Amino acid sequence: MNPGTVLAVHSYKGGTGKTLISMNLATILAKQGKNVCLIDLDLRAPSLDATFAANGKHWINDFLSGTCEPMDVLKDFSKEKATSGRLLVALANPSMEAIREIVTKDKRWEMGALRRLLSLKEFLTNNLAMDYVVMDTSPGLSYGSINAVAASDFVLVVSTWDASDITGTQGMIGELYDLLERRAIVIMNKIPEQLIAAEEMKERLADQFKRAFKLPVMDLLPCYCDILRQERATIMALDKPDHPFSKSLVEIVGKVEKAGEKPAPPLPKP
Amino acid sequence: MRGDQISKSAELSRTLKRIEKKIDILISGTEGKRPAKRREEAMGEGLDVMTLLSFPDHLRKSAMTIMKLGKAMAEDVAKETGRARAIESAYLNQLARMGYVKKVREGRRVYFSLEGNQANIESLINPKVAEEGG
Repeated sequence: MNPGTVLAVHSYKGGTGKTLISMNLATILAKQGKNVCLIDLDLRAPSLDATFAANGKHWINDFLSGTCEPMDVLKDFSKEKATSGRLLVALANPSMEAIREIVTKDKRWEMGALRRLLSLKEFLTNNLAMDYVVMDTSPGLSYGSINAVAASDFVLVVSTWDASDITGTQGMIGELYDLLERRAIVIMNKIPEQLIAAEEMKERLADQFKRAFKLPVMDLLPCYCDILRQERATIMALDKPDHPFSKSLVEIVGKVEKAGEKPAPPLPKP
Repeated sequence: MRGDQISKSAELSRTLKRIEKKIDILISGTEGKRPAKRREEAMGEGLDVMTLLSFPDHLRKSAMTIMKLGKAMAEDVAKETGRARAIESAYLNQLARMGYVKKVREGRRVYFSLEGNQANIESLINPKVAEEGG
């Protein structure tokens, strides 16, 4: 039996498109009949609540603090989003008060949070038979995002074209994913459209990124201004499945599925 | 003059005795409490990701395997890491001494675990999910 795959969507900088990619990946998988759980682990800047409106009393924050059970925070959106697989979503508390509270959490709390995250992973993949768990994390090196990486099976790193973003991503690959022995796959997002208009140029660029990161690069996604103009509640993959962005993500899902099947290859020693 | 000296030396010896007594109390207090307290503090410490990242490679590997397996014997960890059982056992014991993993003896078997890792899994079994929207 194949236990579910836990995926952390991470990036060095903010605004790289983690949330957009996470929620589209999750819905595409659910639409294809997979059971998926999407978790907002960006507790410092929650964002999934803008797309998945839930009026529950409990948030993932409460679960990580140990004040509620997983069933209290998981909401089933399969009917609302008409997915054939189960689509469960756990949201982070977007209130300023909750964010303030998270910022002041200490090491001890983070340790407890990691333990609960690991038990949640176990629960979702074993008891609820989830095929995929997609964790939208906070950017950069923070306790929260490293906890998510540690609880994941592999990491999807989203980077932009920006030089500091690329350098930072390289740093995280060497000093975080490698040390935690997590496989990582890079998605380049918001690439200026004219740079990848021609297939040949796109391939050359992809090759450059592959060498820079020493990792497989899944896709180079152009910067789509029309996505930025969409309302936050729009899920591209559901509402505009013919948009090139949605199509690219369907391809990425295929690669994620393949990557999830393979057992982790032993990493070369640094 | 002489009587004065005697009373002074008597007073001195009384003071010395008092001091001795206090030192004894202090010693007996620290002997009994300090190691126990230190162990307790270490047990509460547990393992956090930042510490994990700062570990030398060999310890990180053991700690991460425990993280993955939840609760395991040195032999199980050795199978995962591909190292000899005796070496793995030494690393795990080192982590246990440092207070990062918990060591429990069950009969002849010795298990290592991240503290409380298995805590609430049993209480989590409840397959009903609240439905939103639809």
